[in-house]
Amino acid sequence: MALSVVAAFLLYTVLSKISLSLLHLINLFSLVVIYFASERGEICGACLGTFCGLIQDSFSLGVFGVAGVSKTLMGFLAGYFAGKVNVTPLKRSFLFIFVLISMELFIWASLFTFIFSERVSTGGGLLFFQPLLTALLGSAGLYFIRKKKKSSS
Amino acid sequence: MPYSWKKRKNLIILLSLIFLQLILISVQVPLGEEENYFEKVVFTVFSPLQHGVVSFFRGLGNFWKSYIGLHRVHKDNERLREEMFFLKQENNLLREMLKVYRTEKEISGLSLDLQKNILPARVIGIDASNVWKSLNINKGSLDGVKKNMVVLDKHGHLVGRIINPISFREARVQMITDTESGVSVIPEAKDVPGVLIGEGNGRCKLEFIISTDTAIVEGDRLITAGFDGIYFPGIVVGRILSVVGVEGLFKIIKVEPSFKIQELDLLAIITVDSKEVF
Repeated sequence: MALSVVAAFLLYTVLSKISLSLLHLINLFSLVVIYFASERGEICGACLGTFCGLIQDSFSLGVFGVAGVSKTLMGFLAGYFAGKVNVTPLKRSFLFIFVLISMELFIWASLFTFIFSERVSTGGGLLFFQPLLTALLGSAGLYFIRKKKKSSS
Repeated sequence: MPYSWKKRKNLIILLSLIFLQLILISVQVPLGEEENYFEKVVFTVFSPLQHGVVSFFRGLGNFWKSYIGLHRVHKDNERLREEMFFLKQENNLLREMLKVYRTEKEISGLSLDLQKNILPARVIGIDASNVWKSLNINKGSLDGVKKNMVVLDKHGHLVGRIINPISFREARVQMITDTESGVSVIPEAKDVPGVLIGEGNGRCKLEFIISTDTAIVEGDRLITAGFDGIYFPGIVVGRILSVVGVEGLFKIIKVEPSFKIQELDLLAIITVDSKEVF
């Protein structure tokens, strides 16, 4: 789990060097949180969400904890619903990630606007595509991970 | 019964985590830019990773440039020689112009001092919440970096200033496009000082210019005025995009910063206090 967080952080750094637009489009930390939350349950999701959110906060100027709160909630809900509904099929997995990322984005943007009294920078509208692209990437990634796990077992 | 307790326990853990973070948020809000110790610890632990990744990829790039892409070297060398020739000419001309205000000895001393006080740094990361707020660089307290040092891009345009947290080998730069940033500026050759404030979207606004003022027009180049005690005077900041005269006390003036975020790789940190030189 720790390795996945470090990998997400390193990938995040690489993406920022390739193009700044990619940072608006892909939320790697959330994918790590969703994966472990759906595998290990809501408490793991909430704790990992807190940790990843605080890492994200420590690399941004502003109030420490804003991304933490939104990722904690998202991680908890990911674990909770993954325990209730089977989210392994590709289409369902896509929808699951899409809804969770949209919700996280909404909570984060609301908190950000409330605390800073300023509008969130959407990177020329790119931020609105984040749920879609992250869900596409995440569902494909999860599909291959699960397939590989199945074939090896 | 045990299921219900488990459910309740999960909810208690979730609420505790959120409650702790809300306390963390409410403690910081009045502090503004002062970072808390937890944030500093996370920054100090994770920033060397960022530093490592960027160094690794730069190393790969350098390997390619140094050993594989050698056929371009001669061409680049010629181009750089030509560029240096023109820069020397420009430097001489500027020195001549400066002589109007300073003696030869003063100018030599000034340029030597400035050369000694420029610390090159590379961008290793960018703000996770908004790319127009801050960036991380690969120089820290062990390199002599301190809070409020001025940061310029490779063309000498103002990027921002050093803020906390500063770890041993990494530091954070607040960009002039951040909404919390304020720079005292003045249009070139015009005596109309104002305050440049970031808009958080890549643009800035020039504030406190009275509506009746007609001196400022679109296209004017803005330079630092030096009144804020952080940025020394004369640094190129940006260009005025639009001026709208409103019925209120002040005009609405939009400014485009001179630095290009896509080109921010090598930066110059001015390690000298502006008051010591100017």
